[in-house]
Amino acid sequence: MSNIATVAAPERPAVSAALRRRISYAAQAVTGYVFLAPSLLVFAVFIFYPLIKSIYLGFYVSNPFGNGQVYVGADQYRRVLSSDQFHTALVTTALFALYTVVGGVVLGLLLALLANARLKGIFIFRTIFSSTIATSVAVASLMWILLFNPSIGVLNWALSLLHVARINWLTSPHWALFSVSIATIWLQLGFNTIVLLAGLQGIPDELYESARVDGARPLRQFFTITLPMLSPTLFFVIVIASIRAFESFGQIDLLTQGGPNNATFTLVYAIYRNAFFNFGATGVASAQAVVLFVIILLFTAIQFGVAERKVFYG
Amino acid sequence: MKHRFGVFTLAAALLAVACSSNNNKNSNNAAATKPPSAASSTQAAAPRPAGASPTAANASPTGTPRPTVAAAPGAVKISFWHAFSGTNGDALNALVDKYNSSQQKVHVDAVFQGSYDDDINKLRQALQTKTTPDLVQIYDIGTRFMVDSKAVTPMQTFVDKDKFDLSTFEPNVLGYYKVGTTLYSMPWATSNPILYYNKDMFKAAGLDPDKPPKTFEEVADAAKKLTKGDVKGIALPIDDWYMEQSLATQGAYFADPTNGRGDKPADKAAFNGPEGVAFLTWWANMVKDGTAANLGRNSSDTKAAFFAGKIAMVVDSTAALRQVIDSTQGKFQVGTTFYPRPANNPKAAGTIIGGNSLWIMKDHPQAEQDAAWDFIKWLMQPEQMAFFHVSTGYYPPNKAAYDVQADKDWLAKYPQFQTAIDQLHASPLNQATQGGLVGVFVQARQDNQSAIESVFAGQATPQQALDKAAGTVTGEIQQYNQAVGH
Repeated sequence: MSNIATVAAPERPAVSAALRRRISYAAQAVTGYVFLAPSLLVFAVFIFYPLIKSIYLGFYVSNPFGNGQVYVGADQYRRVLSSDQFHTALVTTALFALYTVVGGVVLGLLLALLANARLKGIFIFRTIFSSTIATSVAVASLMWILLFNPSIGVLNWALSLLHVARINWLTSPHWALFSVSIATIWLQLGFNTIVLLAGLQGIPDELYESARVDGARPLRQFFTITLPMLSPTLFFVIVIASIRAFESFGQIDLLTQGGPNNATFTLVYAIYRNAFFNFGATGVASAQAVVLFVIILLFTAIQFGVAERKVFYG
Repeated sequence: MKHRFGVFTLAAALLAVACSSNNNKNSNNAAATKPPSAASSTQAAAPRPAGASPTAANASPTGTPRPTVAAAPGAVKISFWHAFSGTNGDALNALVDKYNSSQQKVHVDAVFQGSYDDDINKLRQALQTKTTPDLVQIYDIGTRFMVDSKAVTPMQTFVDKDKFDLSTFEPNVLGYYKVGTTLYSMPWATSNPILYYNKDMFKAAGLDPDKPPKTFEEVADAAKKLTKGDVKGIALPIDDWYMEQSLATQGAYFADPTNGRGDKPADKAAFNGPEGVAFLTWWANMVKDGTAANLGRNSSDTKAAFFAGKIAMVVDSTAALRQVIDSTQGKFQVGTTFYPRPANNPKAAGTIIGGNSLWIMKDHPQAEQDAAWDFIKWLMQPEQMAFFHVSTGYYPPNKAAYDVQADKDWLAKYPQFQTAIDQLHASPLNQATQGGLVGVFVQARQDNQSAIESVFAGQATPQQALDKAAGTVTGEIQQYNQAVGH
């Protein structure tokens, strides 16, 4: 890259070294932006523009036909933040995130540890464990609808063999969020397992060898070697899983439509309902979307700020 | 250093992910996955078009013509948005193909837009971008919204201009789609709810399969006798449509004053009266004592359980009849009867017209509007009506269809199709059976379905749940009225 700078000012000894360095930096920056341009363009069209438009629409109230907009300013945000719908949706979303992140990461780690064993044919298990990564939300949801079906589903059939009372997985407000979480965990397990397995395989064998020489048992090895060495990967998986939880839509829409009695009415689902079903609530939906954006942004920042200090980068 | 860089790109990626959530609401694509629609949309039995391609949204007003029949040169091309898939979608496409090949002047492009809800939402978006179709099929409860949009040419205009004969049409059906004295849209696929029952199970339980239960009490009693092991007596999908229908069969209003059918638009929910409570109490008691299965909101789930012999009776739209006949062929005998109602029922009560109607959008050249009208007139001919009747289960708005031989033969072979027709003819035309006319029906249904679910979960009594929902819906109606200047 420095040769660009030398082309720009080849035979001018009068130019000071400091200026040269500045030109060199500028040229480097220009080159960098040229390389970034395609992705910036894509981001601008598909992300920055809708984001700005959402913020803008959040200040307006429109009629049921989507026109005749009236400016209401920050009032809309104040109303959204103080509404019952927003509060219950926020609690539901937080619970959903808690279930799916904890469940998904713990199970993913367990599967990754199993898949890390040195056995003949282990690749078969690795493929099985990670297979859900290739399953779309729609397909997975249709599958779980059948499994959860109270009268013809496999889960209740299995319970009946154990003489346990049937569970209304998706139609009971007490179970629905839990059931949707199970489907979500299953869906994310493949990704979590692959990433954690890759992390496990990056840990040098010598560490375990010397630990064994020192007489450390497997449990001790796990807590003093595996976990610290895996912490960057775990951190990554937790961040991604949290954000996915906040954004989950397909499985909620297909399994419960936010019901029963709003038990699975998450923030994203509230946005969807307001934008497409509550004629005239486009502004409310926009404001909620902006709030969700800020929440995810803050959440991500906190995770980077706090969790990163505890991460052992080796 | 390497890690730092990694973390930075990760942060950028996360930011992108976070931002993209805001994306959803502006694009129609978010509506690609959809909630199941009203009971009146029983055609949604086929898996919903999850993840439909973005281009299939409202990118193009005309959509892609199906390749079966090519347009004649010089033909007026019109686009037709609809919400029919599965059995009912096949029947619609067959009719469109037949029309296209029967003449050279007009070519209809039928475009499937997803559920009824998707369909009206896409139209709402199209109104803003001025990319509406020429002709659109909209569900019953979208009527108030469509009229208020002021974006349609009332069907009455074409009827008057052409002196189109409506004398053979069902008065109740015309009554539903008339606002004031103006017929705004042409009724096409019309339905009402009926009770389907498994005759074999009736016999096994010692019940007379030729004397099906009719009242709330009789149905509850039969459900108790039919419940055995993992087989339940009855199931209804959790769909507000059934409550709306029950209000009408008890002569009560969904909204005040007079269901919004009088001089003044509705400004208050009224479904929390004794009639709504009676219906919900009947249903909830059966769920509570385990004689009714709670299978959620999707009618495809209740039907699947019925087909599998896990429930003996199911309430569904008559529009599901052809699918029910086809799916139970060789398995068991299916009977149909009137929608259940209380024993001490007032005479002046009956079911509401369900289903959908056809609307002509006004922001199109006269030639296209006339072409759409030509297609509608063709669809209303007895022959087409009869074909659609036997292919789906929707009864024909035009009574002349019953004179067609094919229809007569079909009714003789499958007398189950007679139930909906008899039920329609047993319903007087009044403001209760005309059904509620409110602009916020889509939201109202969601609110009521939550109310029903809260009763089943033991979180509220029927009266408490309906009072709470009525409060919410009243607020929504008033907000809507204010916005459209009622």
